[in-house]
Amino acid sequence: MTLWSRFRSWLRAAMGRSRMEREMDAELSFHIEAFAEDLARSGVPREEALRRARIEFGGIERAKEKCREARGLSLVESIVQDLRFGLRMLRKNPGFTAVAVITLALGIGANTAVFTVVNGVLLRAMPFPEAERLFLVSLTPGGGPFEWQPGVSDRDYLAFREQDQAFEQVACFTKGSTANLTGAGDPAQIPVAYVTTEFFSALRTNPEIGRGFLTGEGEPGNDSVVVLSNELWKDRFAADSEILGKTIRIDGLSRTVIGIMPPGFEFPGAKVWMPLAIRINEHNSFTRPVVGRLKPGVSPQQAQAELETFAEHQPLGPGESKKDRMAQIIPLKDLLVANIRPSLLMFAGAVAFVLLIACANVANLFLARAAGRGQEMAVRSTLGASHWRLVRQLLAESTLVSLIGGAAGILLAHWGVQALTALAPAGKVPRMEMVRIDGWVLAFTLGLSVVTGVVFGLVPAFQATGYGARRSLGQAARTVIGGHEGIRSVLTVSEMGLALILLTGAGLMLKSFLRLRAVNPGFSPHSVMTMTLDLPESTYTSASQIRTFHRRTLEELSRLPAVLASGAVNWIPLGQGLVMGTFQVEGGQRPRGFMVDKPCVSPSYFRAMGMPLLRGREFTESDNATAPGVAIVSQSVARTLWPGQDPLGKRISMEDEPKPEDWLTVVGVVDDVKQQGLAKNSEPAIYQPYLQVASTGFLSHMTFVVRTGSPPERVAAGMRAVLRNVDKNQPIAIASMDSLVATTTAEPQFQTRLLATFALVALALTIVGIYGVLAYAVAQRTREIGVRMALGAQSADVLQMFLRKALVLITMGITLGGAGAFALTRVLMKFLFEVKPTDVPTFATVALTLVLSSLAACYVPARRAMKADPMVALRYE
Amino acid sequence: MDQPMELLQGTLDMLILKAVSLGPLHGYGVLLRVQQISKDRLEIQQGSLYPALYRLEHQGWITSEWGESENKRRAKYYRLTAAGKRKLQTEAEKWNRMADVIAGILRSTPEEV
Repeated sequence: MTLWSRFRSWLRAAMGRSRMEREMDAELSFHIEAFAEDLARSGVPREEALRRARIEFGGIERAKEKCREARGLSLVESIVQDLRFGLRMLRKNPGFTAVAVITLALGIGANTAVFTVVNGVLLRAMPFPEAERLFLVSLTPGGGPFEWQPGVSDRDYLAFREQDQAFEQVACFTKGSTANLTGAGDPAQIPVAYVTTEFFSALRTNPEIGRGFLTGEGEPGNDSVVVLSNELWKDRFAADSEILGKTIRIDGLSRTVIGIMPPGFEFPGAKVWMPLAIRINEHNSFTRPVVGRLKPGVSPQQAQAELETFAEHQPLGPGESKKDRMAQIIPLKDLLVANIRPSLLMFAGAVAFVLLIACANVANLFLARAAGRGQEMAVRSTLGASHWRLVRQLLAESTLVSLIGGAAGILLAHWGVQALTALAPAGKVPRMEMVRIDGWVLAFTLGLSVVTGVVFGLVPAFQATGYGARRSLGQAARTVIGGHEGIRSVLTVSEMGLALILLTGAGLMLKSFLRLRAVNPGFSPHSVMTMTLDLPESTYTSASQIRTFHRRTLEELSRLPAVLASGAVNWIPLGQGLVMGTFQVEGGQRPRGFMVDKPCVSPSYFRAMGMPLLRGREFTESDNATAPGVAIVSQSVARTLWPGQDPLGKRISMEDEPKPEDWLTVVGVVDDVKQQGLAKNSEPAIYQPYLQVASTGFLSHMTFVVRTGSPPERVAAGMRAVLRNVDKNQPIAIASMDSLVATTTAEPQFQTRLLATFALVALALTIVGIYGVLAYAVAQRTREIGVRMALGAQSADVLQMFLRKALVLITMGITLGGAGAFALTRVLMKFLFEVKPTDVPTFATVALTLVLSSLAACYVPARRAMKADPMVALRYE
Repeated sequence: MDQPMELLQGTLDMLILKAVSLGPLHGYGVLLRVQQISKDRLEIQQGSLYPALYRLEHQGWITSEWGESENKRRAKYYRLTAAGKRKLQTEAEKWNRMADVIAGILRSTPEEV
């Protein structure tokens, strides 16, 4: 019989039983009528002919039944039968079913939740037409996942745009800028993007209302236009249908609204788009992201080759080397998700372990039950059920359980995703709006459930049916468990191994997180409140105007009740950025590559931040524009430039070719601070008094810090009032310094929490698993225990017997898991701070935890065995 | 005319294959064809004809499609497949060999034993 015909026959059966039935009816009645017609032709009256034909044919119903049998029971029908029978079996054992379903729901639910996030953040296409043809063009020094943001320098961009053959269009844009929106409700800082005029058409997304940018817009005098996001238009402008042509104020400048984007469009994380014209002058050293849409038929590899050739031939700028231009063609999505990908994949891996453990547990449950069903299987196989038929029956049962578990898992995942999105560090996980349970997720869960059902069902199924085939009815009636214990032990050992790997991972993350939290940032963050604002160039055109604003604000802040000290700095440590740069040393040489952070601060800044002054003096109000230039250096600068010498009185300059008045005298030394994050190195810094800084670019972005004697949140209202007094048009961001510190540790904290949750679930499942195996072994060997005790064994001997068995399992589990953890924890390398992936104390602590909790789980059944009454035990069967 | 004989066990399938190998037939046609070529000496139980047809179709030796009968009615026609053709050939050979052997046995005389 060919496979094809069998398949076709099944297919036909699957298409509907009723059609087969109809055809069979039609065929048989044709036969009878044709027969009757022949009879009628030989002279029999028509009525009589039909009657005779029917009689000659014999039992029609019996023939039909035989036809149905001959056709074979269809796959669908027999699966339905299997499922129905399985459902009946599961209903008969509600306790067993509940435990199996809950275990699987946990495993599948956790996997579904993580997959939902992975799917939304990493897998779903960006919401642009043919988004898979959009790529980032990058010519940066590269290295690491975005140590350097992908981008192209303006100079290279202009040249590339001229020469490029691979892309339909390339557009340059800025990412992460903010601007002040005023005149539409409270002043607010909103994310904005400056984009070249090709931007919207490269993404093939045009404004829903109005138009995009025209060629030439963005040039000076022609750049006062703006496109709004749909959300901003609704939130801030009440979806004003007459908004086109009206002006709004951004950073104090009037701009005409020319378009509203479709809902949901916010690439690259902006609410407002403004035109950008790239102009080259000697000071331009901007590097910005560039997006391009590949021409049809051009592959990313071809574009990569083209870009490499371009990089090869592009003349080098001053101080540049070839290595500074690593040609990369990167999928556009990576701009948003490259940083988050490793941790999401780590979660996916961890949660898969949880499911494997759940599978092992449920497989153990099924094995235990299979032993009890030996007799049933024996009877059925004696009655003629084939081996395959019985395996299929048991697989149908296990798949049924995992499907129910999967359905419950989707429910769990629904809450799990909500918890994940709520716990995820704000702003650290991109594309959160794409995360939802969609068709892909449901398909994933369905597939996962079926695979799970088969995986954990296969071994018990073959075991159980093996019984039926091998043992006679008489033997099967007696419970024999020897063979099962082997498999059950293997399952338990692997379960412990997996749990140990997860626990070790979580332990390492926890240790790393605690280390990170214990890092001294170089200042004292407690009881400090910060207020950050960006003064727009349009209103604050000169340095003196800005300084006046700062001085007034500082004065009013220091008068607030409970304020101990107030200060200001242009880029706050652990904040949004820093200004790095070079400098000159009088009578000396700056070590090659030695760059410093260059903050401008107010006189009492160090006191407000709690940064200890190590030598010399602080800045004072008299360190102003008319006084001689001064600077305070951080400890590492002093040590690097003047090792073993007194830094006070030495002179440095921020200018490349300093004139006599540009030299700054070092008047003090402070500690180094963590500028970029607790996990990063401290930055060497040279501080200047803000009163002596002339460039508005160094002054317009300023964070005011206030140290208070009362809880810092209590001064927030006062700080707001101060700002309203000084300039009511400025939006501010107020946050306690503690919360800024927490923001920088939010991601590791999230990773640690999540991994720890998975590890704890794994631990709980494993403990339940090992308890189950031992409890079952005790129950099965009750008779043996009875015999032993009747023959004089002490209860301590029995206890020892079972604990020895448990110890063997635990030792094997720990050994395997330890080896696995040793091999696998290196994937955590990039998440760990000052902890090696093979940290011995962590490994030891985790292993000990697992040993102790497993022993505790074993002790309960072992004690039960110990207390067994020999008479009861012997009567057990 | 001889009294029609009952079919030997297991020969119905072969007869059906032979009948449809001569041209597509509906179920009733198979019945008539077998009676005709056996000159009415074989009798097929009508009730067992259809299960046999369904079985042969399920095994892929014949295939069916709906067509129009001589008297302009819709009827299901069966046709031999390539696999069915091979099956018929091997069955026929087996049958002939068996018939020879049996005939040989029945012809044997006491001297030969």
